[in-house]
Amino acid sequence: CSSLAGIMLLEAVLVLGTLLIYFLFSKKKEETLPFKDGWWGEGQKPVTQEDTSVRPFKVETTEEELSDLFRRLDQARFTEPLENSCFHYGTNSVHLRKVVSYWKNQFNWKKQVEILNKYPQFKTKIQGIDIHFVHVKPPRLPEGQAAKPLLMVHGWPGSFYEFYKIIPLLTDPASHGLGDEHIFEVICPSIPGYGFSEAPHKKGFNSVSAASVFYELMLRLGFNEFYTQGGDWGWLICTNLAQIAPNHVKGLHLNMASVSKLGLTHLLSILLGRYFPGLFGFQDEDVRRMFPFLKKGLYRILAESGYAHIQATKPDTVGCGLNDSPVGLAAYILEKFSSWTDMEFQNLEDGGLERKFSLDDLLTNVMIYWVSGCIVSSMRFYKENLQKGIGTQKHEKLSVQVPTGIASFPNEILHTPQAWAKKKYTNIVSFHFMPRGGHFAAFEEPELLAKDILQFVGKVEKEQLWKKK
Amino acid sequence: RSFEYSQKNAVLVPAAALGLGGMLLYWLRSGRKIKTIDMGDGWWGSGERPIQRKEDESIRPFKIETSDKEIEDLHRRLDHFRFTPHVEGAAFHYGFNSSYLRKVVAYWRNQFDWRKQVEMLNKYPHFHTTIEGIDIHFIHVKPSYVPHGRAVQPLLLVHGWPGSFYEFYKIIPLLTEPARHGLNEGDVVFEVICPSIPGYGFSEAPHQKGFDSIATARIFHKLMNRLGFKEYYVQGGDWGSRITTNMAQMLPQSVKGLHLNLVFVGKQSLGRIICIMLGAYVPWLVGLSREDVRRSYPFMQKNFYDVMRESGYLHIQATKPDTAGCGLNDSPVGLAAYILEKFSTWTDKSFLNKDDGGLESKYSLDELLTNVMIYWVTSSIVSSMRYYKENISKDPDLSAHSRYAVYVPTGIAAFPQEILHVPRVWAKDVYKNIITFSYMPRGGHFAAFEEPKLLAQDIMQFVRKVEQL
Repeated sequence: CSSLAGIMLLEAVLVLGTLLIYFLFSKKKEETLPFKDGWWGEGQKPVTQEDTSVRPFKVETTEEELSDLFRRLDQARFTEPLENSCFHYGTNSVHLRKVVSYWKNQFNWKKQVEILNKYPQFKTKIQGIDIHFVHVKPPRLPEGQAAKPLLMVHGWPGSFYEFYKIIPLLTDPASHGLGDEHIFEVICPSIPGYGFSEAPHKKGFNSVSAASVFYELMLRLGFNEFYTQGGDWGWLICTNLAQIAPNHVKGLHLNMASVSKLGLTHLLSILLGRYFPGLFGFQDEDVRRMFPFLKKGLYRILAESGYAHIQATKPDTVGCGLNDSPVGLAAYILEKFSSWTDMEFQNLEDGGLERKFSLDDLLTNVMIYWVSGCIVSSMRFYKENLQKGIGTQKHEKLSVQVPTGIASFPNEILHTPQAWAKKKYTNIVSFHFMPRGGHFAAFEEPELLAKDILQFVGKVEKEQLWKKK
Repeated sequence: RSFEYSQKNAVLVPAAALGLGGMLLYWLRSGRKIKTIDMGDGWWGSGERPIQRKEDESIRPFKIETSDKEIEDLHRRLDHFRFTPHVEGAAFHYGFNSSYLRKVVAYWRNQFDWRKQVEMLNKYPHFHTTIEGIDIHFIHVKPSYVPHGRAVQPLLLVHGWPGSFYEFYKIIPLLTEPARHGLNEGDVVFEVICPSIPGYGFSEAPHQKGFDSIATARIFHKLMNRLGFKEYYVQGGDWGSRITTNMAQMLPQSVKGLHLNLVFVGKQSLGRIICIMLGAYVPWLVGLSREDVRRSYPFMQKNFYDVMRESGYLHIQATKPDTAGCGLNDSPVGLAAYILEKFSTWTDKSFLNKDDGGLESKYSLDELLTNVMIYWVTSSIVSSMRYYKENISKDPDLSAHSRYAVYVPTGIAAFPQEILHVPRVWAKDVYKNIITFSYMPRGGHFAAFEEPKLLAQDIMQFVRKVEQL
């Protein structure tokens, strides 16, 4: 009888052992994401060579554009909000009226265009479409030091403009009280279909396509090794870029790190993590930010993801009216700048919009969507990425080996603990809980974000971590 | 010994019998006691409810009007619509196809005659009356000729979203004058009342939070009461189905019969899941008919993926209605794209593959645009969307009322292209007294609008059966 038990125990150990070995080895399997070539222009791809010139670009406006905008603002039809509804039903139209009044009477688009043009902008054709980008070089470099190329990618409903406050902190840190050990030259492209980048004319342009296009861009600009930074869609595009070209990406810095592959461990950690944080690798701050899970996790996702659901299924429908009504566009976009900066702002009559941003900044971002007419194509990106469901795409199953730095902001929509992030980002060099700030980190807390990027790059450069992959 | 024994029995047996009998009686009575939804009360006007003043119960005739100003404003907006080209090969898979939308807008601008449509809308008598602080709009159509000795049945028809009272314009004459339209369903003739749900069309929108289907059901009961009806039939699809069901759950003694062309499923239970799994192989074992199987399987595809693809609007409207509706109240083309997309996909799912969404194969542009105009001229799109939040955020799977069984005689017309098919065996969970359940040969979600004759015939044969009971 005991020998039978002994045999069974041996069998159990063998099975477990095999499973363990399988797991260990399957983790070590380093698959790269293939570069996705494509052609996104209109009609057939021409046989002639693509024009690879990089052309300077300036944002322009006209009297006609302005008078058309004012006419639409004047004709706007508002609907009275329910009594005491604040921002619980979406953007409060009483406050929206005030914003529109500012927009008509005080906002100066010509002045804002000059501000936009203070950084050099360019366009170049890649895979059949014109890619717009900002390219800022450092004003001065200490003797013997080279500028480090840094690709920064925006998301939705943001734009390249979100980086305008952080760029000087990275290209000229010394003038802003930050050490000058690391100085960057910054490249901020617009995702195809956003702002001044041409929208793809073909189906299927997803984050891997965008990553491939931006990879070509960096190569075309002569950068063989570079850092990348991103949040929102920028998080995913930069992650994909690190998966496509790990030998070219020295470091990946993220202010948002989602995981889409949720398994049994995640479920268990949700159920028990509050009581046994150590068991699941949760820190106190993780617990504080994630629990109670129903309220901060599930309900929050459901309450805030309506836009993603409709954009991932019917982008051409939902964007249609927004490209025709600037007030509708502003309501739709500004709602995110309210709740994604701080969930509590929903309880305020003005949505807390001006607590962290100026109306000039908020409206400049909206105007980029308006004058380029890109709202519909920006929404299509959701369908191209999400229509088959979350967690189903190949790249979501692949890990990232490139040195990664994560800045975790407290008011980000959903908190991802390091314990979960490290399953995908296997080489996390720095993970910091930021003291304040939400989803639009670069826009809202440029100094905090810049400091985190600098310390991350510092770590990577000091130990030359990109060579150790 | 035997003497004691029989004495004990003499006491115990009757005691036990009484006890059992009592329990049986109690169980029988509690089973018979029908649980109804509490009627409650409400106030939806602006500000505080006035204490002294008794509500004005007058019924005031109403005529829809338009003006040059209204038409010119519309034309100006149509002329300035900013159009976004769709990706190649999109058909209706990304939402409303913008190339086809251009054609619709051209028709709307140049051929659609709103003044003529308003005249047509006014052919039935319209009224307004104030209930719970808001003006309720309804049309009331009596048969022009009642054959001697025939009883006229009052019938309340309730529309849904994105429909309106106008959806019933083709079916009304079939119900008030069946003989004249070749419908000879015996002795059934109706007088029809079609209200607009508060927040839709010409009914005033509630100013207070919390206006859900229960409040609507109560208001419609009060309306019928005010019109002098004690007992009446009710019919509905979409929100109308939920409202009329609530009416039957609230005052069963007033509802002679409940006819539905859409059934809301209640909570998914273990039993239901087993039924779904077995239904694919042994449908007869779990009460599914062959037609049920044909309409419901492949189950995940039709009941999960298709629903997820089509429910983006529901998600955003149930969470951020004021944001979603803002631009639509300002851009008539955006409004049309949003609404007409539903008239395409919910009429026939295969219309997604067509460049023109198959819209004109079942409806005329005049009809479709008249419905859109009702939302436009009344500026009711935002308040119509709030209905989703008020109903769904308290009760995300719309199952709270499944606890209240419906004993009122029920007739169900199951149309093949309805978004979700509910087999009779599941409908019986809530509707305990199904008199008729018909698999309609053709037609989708907007049954009264698309197949008025089929629906009218089904209503009449249902009512005939109820009258014979």
